[in-house]
Amino acid sequence: MTRVNVLPALSSDTRAATEALAATQAASSQGQNPEAERLQLLDTQQEWSAFSLPDKAEVGCWRSSVVFEGMHCAACAITLEDALRSVPGVVSVQISSASHRGQIVWSPARTRPSEWLQSVQRVGYKALPANDAHAHETRRQEARRMVWRLSVAALCMMQVMMYATPSYLYGPAEISAESMHLLRWASWVLSLPVLFFSCAPFFGNAWRDLRERQISMDLPVALGMGVTFAVSSLGTFEPAGPFGAEVYFDSFTMFVFFLLMGRWLEQRLRDRTAGALEAVLNRLPDSVRLRQTDGRWALISIRRLAVGDVIQVMPGEAFAGDGRVVSGRSQVDEALLTGESLPLARQTGDRVIAGSHNLSGPLEVQIEQVGAATRYAQIVSLMESAAVSKPDLALWVDRWAKPFLIFVLIASLASAVFWWPTDPAHALMVAVSVLIVTCPCALSLATPAAMLATAGALARGGVLVRKLSALQHLAGIDTFIFDKTGTLTRDAFQLSQTHTRAGVSAEQALAWASSLARHSLHPASRALWAEARAQAKTGIQGAALEALNAQQLSEQAGQGVRGQLQLPDGAWMNLRLGSSVFCDSPPFKSHHLQVSLADDLGWMATFELTEEVRPEASQVVCALKNAGFTLKVLSGDSQAAVSQVAERVGIADAQGACSPQDKLKALQQLQANGHRVAMVGDGLNDGPVLAGADVSFALGQAVPLAQSKADFVLMGSQLDMLLATVLRSRQTLRIVKQNLIWAAAYNAACVPLALLGWLPAWAAGLGMATSSLVVVLNAMRLAKSTASAVHRRSPKA
Amino acid sequence: MDILYLLIPLSVALVFFILAGLWWAIHRGQFEDIEAEGERILRND
Repeated sequence: MTRVNVLPALSSDTRAATEALAATQAASSQGQNPEAERLQLLDTQQEWSAFSLPDKAEVGCWRSSVVFEGMHCAACAITLEDALRSVPGVVSVQISSASHRGQIVWSPARTRPSEWLQSVQRVGYKALPANDAHAHETRRQEARRMVWRLSVAALCMMQVMMYATPSYLYGPAEISAESMHLLRWASWVLSLPVLFFSCAPFFGNAWRDLRERQISMDLPVALGMGVTFAVSSLGTFEPAGPFGAEVYFDSFTMFVFFLLMGRWLEQRLRDRTAGALEAVLNRLPDSVRLRQTDGRWALISIRRLAVGDVIQVMPGEAFAGDGRVVSGRSQVDEALLTGESLPLARQTGDRVIAGSHNLSGPLEVQIEQVGAATRYAQIVSLMESAAVSKPDLALWVDRWAKPFLIFVLIASLASAVFWWPTDPAHALMVAVSVLIVTCPCALSLATPAAMLATAGALARGGVLVRKLSALQHLAGIDTFIFDKTGTLTRDAFQLSQTHTRAGVSAEQALAWASSLARHSLHPASRALWAEARAQAKTGIQGAALEALNAQQLSEQAGQGVRGQLQLPDGAWMNLRLGSSVFCDSPPFKSHHLQVSLADDLGWMATFELTEEVRPEASQVVCALKNAGFTLKVLSGDSQAAVSQVAERVGIADAQGACSPQDKLKALQQLQANGHRVAMVGDGLNDGPVLAGADVSFALGQAVPLAQSKADFVLMGSQLDMLLATVLRSRQTLRIVKQNLIWAAAYNAACVPLALLGWLPAWAAGLGMATSSLVVVLNAMRLAKSTASAVHRRSPKA
Repeated sequence: MDILYLLIPLSVALVFFILAGLWWAIHRGQFEDIEAEGERILRND
């Protein structure tokens, strides 16, 4: 922080505020039912196709996805279904009380979305068009196909097992050859759907890999399936052939079923992670009230919203874009986007973010970002890109998987050759067992499954993971370096000391200063105004303070602001607020920011402002110290200011006056001494330092996410989550290690068994599916929300 | 034992028949929200 002695850019915008208020009143009186008007915007095909698809069963009808608010139980779903069905033109309604989602099929010839959406409102609920409908629909289709494949395999497996039972129970002498042949025929027929339908993804992937000259897990599996089916078919139709009369249809259908079971569970885990932010995705409103050039408000679709537009947001509504409040005062709920659970106060000049909710009063917002540029869209895309990034451990496993697979192919070939002279059919089945049992599915699932589950859970707690591999590095961290400004402190200031001329009390001076400061957006002015209001609340002069409102404001760029204030006795006072030069202030020796006030008699008071330390900072520092971390502050600010802040939060090691190069040098020094360092900064100024650190955290509020280079972004700009994130990453790594050890041990144990011919094909399939299942279930333990981890935070964790 | 020549092909046909029913159920989304079907008993109509 450099010393700032000026007070630039004070502005008075009372005119705009009154204008806006009048317009608000006009807007509410102009339409009898603004909600109905808003819904009617959805009544064009262009708008409704954002959340609807043409229905496949009912020709000419649309199937719309809707998210309901205010739904609690099954009875709510029934009420809603009845209400929707009563609308003529609505063909069918399906509402899930578990997910609060519904599908409505309706005919555009007879009704419009606004009509059936209004019927929902009439029974006291709220329906929002689901903007993620298409992604959701794709996921649902995939899940259905998977369940269908699994069902085919399951049912055919059961029946084939029935046909196989006699051959296990009775010797050849007890069953006639014709009956046996008939049973084999039936098994063969029922294996066909399993081979051609249920196994299709395995064959498809194997074929794709062959064409690209790659090798993957699906190749040995597909090979095993193909060989088993071929041997069994030959056994059925050519009992006198080289492979004998033995058939393995029961083994074949069984391991296909087990394999699909594992894949299905894996898919469900992925869907759960992908759905973690689903609630966030539906937050944007579909229409906004836009201020037109004549000052009137008009409803437009969100897709026509542009940067610079001023929109009005009523309580209960979500913000359509990132922007700045131009008038009004309210509280907003950013919980889903930042993890900040308390409502936040927002007034003129404050920023609001798309997707957060306005809670208490109407706000007018000038839009600064729309669409993909909003924080909201960035969060969503960040989550998506993190989900496809491969962690280092997974890359390492993939590197080893290839030689391992080649080894498996060679080993199974060798075992087939070895057993061939004794019994060709047995030889092939041993080879198949080897192929199936060694599939390293569990090995390659171990890392990504656990890390994805953690990333989803952290996102719900307000921490975004930009790279999954960072979780791995974070677990080994022993040192934290903090930046000062914007990290340990907020960007806002706090009044620390007031110097006044004789005869003027500090409170009086502050009250007068606030009459000017209340109109300004400068951080110093806002600190004065906030302090005056806080004092008025405890004292007696609340109403008196409101009455102190300076008029005729004029500002002098880079100097300060002057204005006139009418005192309660009717006299006028000329006031100046700004730099010490502007107010002819005597010099005060201090390294804090100073703001002076002067009246007609000259200098009156000087306010010293210090940076406001984050309220949670000392608690977080204490918790981190107890957990055994080394802490350090590195800042570009003066040594005195840095030491003071460091002392207040409880960090002994503080280094001020650092250039970015100095910071990097200090960081490399620590790393050379064997420390693993995490850097916590505002994410923008400390680029090289963040990049040099083993792991970096950025406080998300100040910085455009896309520009931030940090591995983790603390969305709520709260430090609270630091320790929880480290603990969670350690837990993740622990689970990844468990998974890897389990998968490796499983393969190490089963390969020799299979090579010796002690493991039948069905047992190989069961073993393989179980190993994947264990890995996925173990990873699912991490999907629990991080909130509990924060509250249970023990000092000795 | 001759009846087996009828019964076994019949059981194969039965499996396909059940599969068809399962296809219909899955693609109507009956397994996506298990609770909803149970809750239907609470409905008035």
